[in-house]
Amino acid sequence: MKQFNLKLIAMAVVGGLLFTSCGNSSNPDNNGHHEHQEGMDHDHSTHQHGESTERNVTSNNGEQKGDLIPVLEKYFSLNAHLVSDDASSAAKSSEKMVTALKAFKGTGFTADEQTEVNEILESAIENAEHIAENAGEISHQREHLVALSTDMKDLIAIVGSSQKLYEDFCPMANNNEGAMWISNKEEIHNPYMGNRMPKCGKVSRVIE
Amino acid sequence: MKKIIQRIIVVGLFALVGIQFIPANLNKQEVIPTSDIRYVYDIPDRVLNILETSCYDCHSNNTNYPWYSNIQPARMIMDHHVEEGKEELNFNEFKNYSDRRKKNKIKSIISQIEDGNMPIPSYALMHNDVRVSADDKKEVMKWFKTKLKD
Repeated sequence: MKQFNLKLIAMAVVGGLLFTSCGNSSNPDNNGHHEHQEGMDHDHSTHQHGESTERNVTSNNGEQKGDLIPVLEKYFSLNAHLVSDDASSAAKSSEKMVTALKAFKGTGFTADEQTEVNEILESAIENAEHIAENAGEISHQREHLVALSTDMKDLIAIVGSSQKLYEDFCPMANNNEGAMWISNKEEIHNPYMGNRMPKCGKVSRVIE
Repeated sequence: MKKIIQRIIVVGLFALVGIQFIPANLNKQEVIPTSDIRYVYDIPDRVLNILETSCYDCHSNNTNYPWYSNIQPARMIMDHHVEEGKEELNFNEFKNYSDRRKKNKIKSIISQIEDGNMPIPSYALMHNDVRVSADDKKEVMKWFKTKLKD
């Protein structure tokens, strides 16, 4: 009984923290406050379903200029390992992501796009390499994931994607500066907070 | 037993003399290249001074070698640090980085200093002059943070 009580208190504290901190979201998304009031009931992931109509949706009906699936697959598995605080598996996925990034070839880019794609790839490779080399330091891995996720977002914007993707944002990640990541699932699985707060964050944009 | 110890000492001494002949790299370039970070941003003197004294040994094409760098294995360790350091970040090449990478580098600079990983503690221990005071660190981080915003 005593243990149960302790658990309850701990849950309440964590829940409280989750709510207040996520509520302070500096996310430019207009419905932030409104959404959080609705989301007061315990499940962080479900309340997002009802909001889909108000969400920012970017359509991607332009032609696809390359196949990002091999890169994104590795990126998603890297994120999944970071959600479960598994730094060494994250390093391995990241190593594979480096290979996939190096193998990526797009077509039909304008000259400007090509320059930007090259810069993004260079930066993404560098970030992924750091994650691969830092199996012993998960905080360092997560730091580079912030930059890597921006690289992925920008790459997707130019290349296009054949799958429905979600841009998620957590205001507490990156030392409370906030950080985004790309996911292929609608539910939130936060790679920055790990087991501490796997549900912190929300979908800020749908890419389809 | 005594004989074995004697032997180990003798072999050790020979090895120590032997490794003195390992060729060392020389990271020296007196002229500051036009791609240096000081030609990218307008860096306050204090910050630039700190960078030059405490970072440029490993993060530029010009190392200020200390006396013990003439002795192996110190030089090997140092050469390794210089090689790795330059690959990671070279202030002399800063202009050549894309804007995206510049931003990545600046973020890493801030977090490495913040976490106390840089300058490498063992290196700072060896030279008094490269050690950066808490106040100086703050100053450097503050300045780099302003560069993230624009």
